[in-house]
Amino acid sequence: MKKTTVCVLIFVLAMALGFAQGSKETTTRPEVVKLQVWYAISGASGEQFLALAKAFDAARPDIELELTYSGSYADTATKVSASLLSGNAPDTAIMAAGQLYTGGRNDYSMENLVQDPDFNFNDIFKGMLEYGMFEGRVAAVPYGISSQVLYYNKDITDKAGLDLEKNPPATWAEFFQIAKTAMQKGNINNSSDFYGFDTSDGVWLFKSMLGQNGNAVVRKSGGKVGPVFQESSGVEVATFWKSLIDSKLMPAGQHNNAEKKFLAGNLAFIAASSNRVTRWQGNTGFKLGAIMMPGFKNRSIALGGNVGVILTEDGFKRDASWELLKYLLEEKNHTAFALSTGYLPVRKSAQNGPVVQQALAANPLYKVAFDQLNNAWAYYHFSEMGTMDAFFWYALDEIEKNVLTPQAALDKAAASLIKEIE
Amino acid sequence: MANKRKHTNILILLFLLVGSLAMIFPFVWMLLSSFKTVGDVYAYPPKWLPSSWNFSNYKKVFQMIPFAKYYFNSIFTSTAQTTLQLGLSVTTAYVLVVLTFPGKKFLNSLIRSTMFVPVIVTLIPLYLMVSKASLIDTYAGIILPQVFGAFTIFLLVSFFSSIPLVLFDSAKLDGCGYYRILSQVVIPNSKSAISTAMLFSFLGHWKSYTWPLIVTNKATYRTLPIGMKYLVQESSSEYQIMMAASVMAIFPVLIVYLFFEKQLVKSITLTGLKA
Amino acid sequence: MKEKLSTPRIHRAVILGKSYETEQLRAAVVLLLPTLVAIVLLFVMPVIQVVMYSFTNYNLTTGLKTYNGLNNYRYLFTDDRFFKAIRNTFTFAALKLIIDTSLALAIALMLDSKIPFKKYLRSAFFAPVVVPVVASSLIWIWFFDPGIGPFNQILSVLGLPTSQWLYHENTALLSILMFSIWKGLGYNVVLFLAGLQNIPQSYVEAAEVDGAKAHQVLFLIKLPLLRPIISFVLMIGIINTFKVFAEVNVMTPKGGPLYSTALMVNYIYDTAFTSGKMGRACSASIILFVIIFTLTIIQSKLDARKSITLE
Repeated sequence: MKKTTVCVLIFVLAMALGFAQGSKETTTRPEVVKLQVWYAISGASGEQFLALAKAFDAARPDIELELTYSGSYADTATKVSASLLSGNAPDTAIMAAGQLYTGGRNDYSMENLVQDPDFNFNDIFKGMLEYGMFEGRVAAVPYGISSQVLYYNKDITDKAGLDLEKNPPATWAEFFQIAKTAMQKGNINNSSDFYGFDTSDGVWLFKSMLGQNGNAVVRKSGGKVGPVFQESSGVEVATFWKSLIDSKLMPAGQHNNAEKKFLAGNLAFIAASSNRVTRWQGNTGFKLGAIMMPGFKNRSIALGGNVGVILTEDGFKRDASWELLKYLLEEKNHTAFALSTGYLPVRKSAQNGPVVQQALAANPLYKVAFDQLNNAWAYYHFSEMGTMDAFFWYALDEIEKNVLTPQAALDKAAASLIKEIE
Repeated sequence: MANKRKHTNILILLFLLVGSLAMIFPFVWMLLSSFKTVGDVYAYPPKWLPSSWNFSNYKKVFQMIPFAKYYFNSIFTSTAQTTLQLGLSVTTAYVLVVLTFPGKKFLNSLIRSTMFVPVIVTLIPLYLMVSKASLIDTYAGIILPQVFGAFTIFLLVSFFSSIPLVLFDSAKLDGCGYYRILSQVVIPNSKSAISTAMLFSFLGHWKSYTWPLIVTNKATYRTLPIGMKYLVQESSSEYQIMMAASVMAIFPVLIVYLFFEKQLVKSITLTGLKA
Repeated sequence: MKEKLSTPRIHRAVILGKSYETEQLRAAVVLLLPTLVAIVLLFVMPVIQVVMYSFTNYNLTTGLKTYNGLNNYRYLFTDDRFFKAIRNTFTFAALKLIIDTSLALAIALMLDSKIPFKKYLRSAFFAPVVVPVVASSLIWIWFFDPGIGPFNQILSVLGLPTSQWLYHENTALLSILMFSIWKGLGYNVVLFLAGLQNIPQSYVEAAEVDGAKAHQVLFLIKLPLLRPIISFVLMIGIINTFKVFAEVNVMTPKGGPLYSTALMVNYIYDTAFTSGKMGRACSASIILFVIIFTLTIIQSKLDARKSITLE
């Protein structure tokens, strides 16, 4: 009997404690404003972010930060959404652009915050600002932005007699031929599992290619957002994608394994995030190279990565959060962050500073990502963009496995997306 | 005739030995690989033995994720859940076996039916409930929703039913109330059953994945299985580090298992036979 | 020593026409209270809520919760991925049940014969059962790696064609099945062993004296007597198969190649937590629950019809 009484008591006590943890409203600024900050940056990059955030914490005795790594982009988005519903949300978050700052929250206070003269709004790359927008309005500030870069295994290309620094491909058609040669002649491991090209993020590359072929992915017309990727410019891209599989250059449905293959020396070219530069430099068993992404009608690059979002509605916490974001995005801070992680600097002014120039000269791989910046863009963000990515994933799978023709697969994805939007 | 039987027995033994090797092969691989270097992992054809034996992978695990904290969280939450679950299960099983009251059959079916409900079905409302009570990222939030276990209850029911009636009768003659019967007759006579039930419960909670996954955001509260999932995300290309983490997650369980194997097996068989 | 001179008065109460001891009633209420609270909070209320939410468009990101009738169900019945998940689940369940049960039975029968090392063998077969799923999934992901995994290495050494394992729609679900069987086999083996050891040796000896050969002993005596165990194993098997989640989630996120490994549980999880569509996920959960319930009822009806006891 004692056991059960104890149990009941513990249960009741726990509930009581839980309820007692409610937040309190204040009208004067507390001495120390405490901020809950979640970030979705992992590994060494996460450490760099943490270092910067802690420096801010130390420099500002009136602001105290509680920093939490909240997992992958997907996990973080889910958790933030759920926590918003129950009132446990963090005050600030560094997380992937996506469903989160979607219509349901209708919070565009960032639009006003970025007008802060200290922030120097115009110094930010246009494509990156687009990345922080939702439905055409500023809802977040870009932070850890990356693009995809075409890495290659120099040992393989040397063996195949290719010199990519001298003759880099400008179009995908040219690249097709180069990859084919690499595959025919460059099997350094004599592996039966050897391929010419793959990407660790098929959906990202596909969206980039759509932009390169003049397709905007989605467009807003008549007040409603609708897919345009199923139009002919999109189908052309999908057909090219299929040709990569048909010619056996790219293995079907193995994108999750692409990086492992590349590191094992069984993949000649890989399109992967620019932040792999820091991870792979010096850690590969072969010479690593990188070139700019080839294109179709243009050579634009779709951006990806994370943004800084302010979630709190408390005035003081909001101000404190903005101070944090401004600090993180100060030119020298952010540039240092970018250089050490392989993310891209968001400020145009960073490009020309001597620090950056030195770093670029020292690491030519990084230069590739930089050079692509002027061509960077972000497609129109809307409420179902996360689901759209899922449909792209399925569509690519179906195209690669020859289950549907490129047109049919894109049509199916478009239809599903329209159904979701309603 | 006897020779033939001997031959078939030898064949059977061989088959079983090979089969048992297949069963434990993954553990052996895991242990060996936890010492491998990146080069060993990506070598082609794959190497089975590590090129050197050092603990650098283990060190890296602790660097990449707060492994010690996750371990502690797992131990703490599993122990708490097991204790609470045992408390609930012992009392419930006792009531189901010894007492008569209206609605007993209904209660029995109700408890039985909870076994059919997969975690996923109650996950969403439970999550929202816990959220509203601000118990996300708290030990209470992880522990409390998992204190109910129909399996444990029925395990104890089958053990309690085998306690000789004469013990109850003599206790009643001595004037014991029903609470005293519980504490002085049932519990002392089911020590092995209760400890086995505790073991099962502990193992089950140690492994639990789905609930802690969604109810914890902060690293400080994560349990081991979730921590391992994050490790996978951080080190997706580095199998050897994941193996070191797996060794640390699995070996304690295996050791506990080897110690208590006899009891574990006994209790499984009892539930099966009584079914 | 004190002797009780009179038997204590036992108070009784009559409820709904039956008579109960009040002392028992009181004890029952007190002792059952925490359990009842737990059942209501952790099962009854959530199930009711799931049913309610299934008729709304509850969305995690927007927080909207408005009634939308049967829309969720309508969406599910036109979603080919939902049907794929159902098909995957049934395929997986059927294969797992058949292989698990028959293989475990065979192994138990073999373990029951006169051979040495029984203790070691039993431990070896049971070991995978106690081990945490996530940790062991990681090992098997490596095993299945088409390029650097040992499975393909073994296959090529033996001169057999290699497989894409988790990366091809024809082999992905089977790969996960392999892992699942490795994991669950020992549990059934132990159950069957217990049943076998419960068969009195006298039955077997009597049959042998009558001249019965080994396979006759097996089919005419052992198997029929094992029937209750077999049906228990099947029932537990059905319940557990529908609960499989972690290994699919860890080994093939996003539902696997051409959505061939997503089980219903994964579909529900992804709909709820990745897409945020709680309402729809609840509807799918209800459908899943109905399926499980129906299956177990079918199984118990079939079972009730034919059962024999030791008498």
